[in-house]
Amino acid sequence: MAFLEWLQGTWVGVLVAESLWGYPLLETIHTIGMAMLVGALGLINLRVLGYKPDLPLVGTRDLLPLAWTGFTLNAISGSLLFTSDAVYFFESYTFRIKIGLIILGGINAALLGRRIFREAAGVSVVAVDAGTKMIAASSLVFWIAAVCAGRLIAYLP
Amino acid sequence: MEFLAWLESTAIANAIRTIPWLYPAIETGHYIGLSFLVGGIMLIDLRVLGFARRLPLKTMIGLLPFVWAGFIINVLTGSLLFIYGATNFGPNTAFQIKMGFMILAGLNAFAFDFTVRRSDGAWIALDHPPKVAKGFATLSLLFWLCVVTTGRWMAYL
Repeated sequence: MAFLEWLQGTWVGVLVAESLWGYPLLETIHTIGMAMLVGALGLINLRVLGYKPDLPLVGTRDLLPLAWTGFTLNAISGSLLFTSDAVYFFESYTFRIKIGLIILGGINAALLGRRIFREAAGVSVVAVDAGTKMIAASSLVFWIAAVCAGRLIAYLP
Repeated sequence: MEFLAWLESTAIANAIRTIPWLYPAIETGHYIGLSFLVGGIMLIDLRVLGFARRLPLKTMIGLLPFVWAGFIINVLTGSLLFIYGATNFGPNTAFQIKMGFMILAGLNAFAFDFTVRRSDGAWIALDHPPKVAKGFATLSLLFWLCVVTTGRWMAYL
């Protein structure tokens, strides 16, 4: 707790909390990063579930830079937003649930990548089995739930 | 202004005011719609601009129903949020600029569609977007990012 209090007292925390543009600017970046991350991962997961079979499974790997850009934007903007009111966010159950969902989504993305991006001569060598589809379906649930939880931090304890 | 005050006095506005979970729920829906709309449009525009070349252009343009779904969700949820706070949102500068960017984004989409039809869309199958298509895609990205930004800023201006 001492660390969180120190964090929100640093010049970064104070700048984000009190400057006119700090909070809205970071929130805007966080929203745009969200669209990048959820858009890119959403399409990969839907493809695994059988949507748009014309998209080569291995080729969806090309979407990862967009997902990583969104993730990086959001890790940075999210961390900075956190510093503005560190104690409040840390104590918020909705915030903790959101972080939990992101961790689950991240683990799922890593597991999925190991399965579908194994390739030989540009073709996926792994058939999509039921387990892989389960990972994709639960990923969609985790990321959408993370978006919801993020929005609800302001309203729920 | 009278019209805005009337909107705020409707049964819908009253319901949103009196049922505590309704406003957060609608706002959360607006973020889900945003992920569909902006996530989808980003994937299409970036593909036209040459990103993720292993994914066929024609199939990626086929993501448009997702964009439309997000658009419809957000027109509905956005209208409800507006009715709730009409006298507040109506004169809000950020809201007015946001609507302006939405009109620009819409006109741009029509112009894009018109160009595609006139050119027979042969470039889609050939995966060789003309410069004008890339121009529309760039403007589309720009306009939608401005819509998100000004939307986020409504709470602060």
